[in-house]
Amino acid sequence: MNAELFENLRLELRRGCLIVAVLAQLRKEHYGYTLRKALADGGLAVDEGTLYPLLRRLETQGLLASEWREENKRNKRFYRLSPDGEQILKQLLDEWQGINGSINRIVQGE
Amino acid sequence: MELLDRYLNAVRFWLPNAQQEDIIAELGEDIRLQVEETEASLGQKLNDDDLAAILRRRGHPMLMAGRYVPQRSLIGPVLYPAYLVVMKILVLWILVPIFVLIVAPVTIATTANPTLASIQTLWNLAMAAVFSVGVVTVVFAILERRPIHELEKWDPLKLPRVPKMTAAQELSLKAPGPTTRVNAIAELVFGVITTGVWIQAIRYRAGFDLNTVHITPAHIWTIVYWPIFAICLAGVPLGWTGLVWPSGSRLRAVIRFGIDAVTLGVIGVLAGAGSWLKLTSATISMTDLATATHWTDVGMKITLASAAIITLIDAIREVRRFLGYKP
Repeated sequence: MNAELFENLRLELRRGCLIVAVLAQLRKEHYGYTLRKALADGGLAVDEGTLYPLLRRLETQGLLASEWREENKRNKRFYRLSPDGEQILKQLLDEWQGINGSINRIVQGE
Repeated sequence: MELLDRYLNAVRFWLPNAQQEDIIAELGEDIRLQVEETEASLGQKLNDDDLAAILRRRGHPMLMAGRYVPQRSLIGPVLYPAYLVVMKILVLWILVPIFVLIVAPVTIATTANPTLASIQTLWNLAMAAVFSVGVVTVVFAILERRPIHELEKWDPLKLPRVPKMTAAQELSLKAPGPTTRVNAIAELVFGVITTGVWIQAIRYRAGFDLNTVHITPAHIWTIVYWPIFAICLAGVPLGWTGLVWPSGSRLRAVIRFGIDAVTLGVIGVLAGAGSWLKLTSATISMTDLATATHWTDVGMKITLASAAIITLIDAIREVRRFLGYKP
C-alpha cells in the first residue's frame, strides 16, 4: 500500500518537472531517441511511452516546433523549443526556483 | 524486422486516422534505433525473442496507442457516485423486484416448461438491466457535458448560508447535516428517469402481451396514474433544491414527508383494490391462468408491503430530520 501510494505521488511530482526538463533540454534540437538519452544522462530517465505523447502535446500547445529531416540516410523527427516555448520555459523556471526555495524554507523551518 | 512491423501495425489499429502515419513513423524509428544500439553493444544481431522482449517492455499495442490519445471519460468523478446510486436503485430496487415478483410468476406459471421460462425471465431481466444502464449512462453523460459557462457565472454572494446550530445540537452531534451532493443529483436524475418511464407506461394501459398471456392493468392503475406521476416528478425539484440549497434540511424534510404521505396514500388505494392485473390467454388453461394470477397478486402484495415499510421508515426519518435530529 505504502509503496503504491509513494509511486503514485512520485509520478505526480515528476509530471510537472518532466515538462520543464523536456523544454529545457530542447533549447538544443533533438530527435526523440537522443532527447531521451540526454534526459537519462541528466538523471531524469523517462520511458518512450511517456515522452513521445508529451512531445506531441507540447507541440500542439505551440511550445515546440518539429520537422522531419533526413540524417544518416534515415528520416527522423527533430524537435526544438519554439519562441513561445522559450518564454514559457523562462516563466516555468522562475516558478520552479520559487517553489524550490519555498519548500526548502518550509522543510528547514520544521 | 517482421515482428516490429507486426507490432507497429497493431499499434496503428488503435490510433486516430489523422495521426497514424506520423506516430508510427516516429515510434518505428525509435524502436529501430534501440535495436541497433542493443545490437552494437552485444556485437550480434538480435533474434525474434530478443526483439519480442524489447516490444514487451514497450507495452501492449493498445496501451501504447492509448498514451497518444487524450484521456476522456463519459462520466467524471463528481457525478460518478450519484451515477452508482441511481444504478443500484434502478436495478436492485426496481428491476429485480418487478421481474422476481411479477414477471417471473406469470411466465413460469403459464408455461409447460418452467425451467426454460425461468431462464427466459433471467435473460429478459438481464436485457432490461442493460437497457436501463444505457439510459442512465446517457442521462449522466449529458449532465456531464452541461455548458461550463453556466458555472462560470456563479456569484459567491448567492451561496447558501450555513445553518446555525444550537449549542445543544453542536454538543450532541445529532443535528442533521446538509444534503449530500450524491443524494441531490441521484434524486434529480432518478426523478427525470422515473417520470419518463411512467409517461411511457401510459401506452400499456390497454394491456400488453407476455409470451401467450395478455395482461390488462386493472382500472385502479388509471385512478393512481397521475398521483404516481406527481411522486416521480417531485424528485426533480427536490433534487434541484438539494443542489442549490443543501442546508435547507428542514424544508426538504417537509417536502419529502409530503411525498411519503402521498406515496402511502397511493399504496393504500392500490392495496384496497385487491386485484391489479387481469391475465387472459387463448392457449393456456383457466387453472394455469388462475395460478399465475394468484402468484402475481402475491408478488404485488409483497411489493406494496415492502414499499409501504420503506416509505414509512423514510417518513419517520424526515420527521426526525425536521425536529433537528440526525435521521
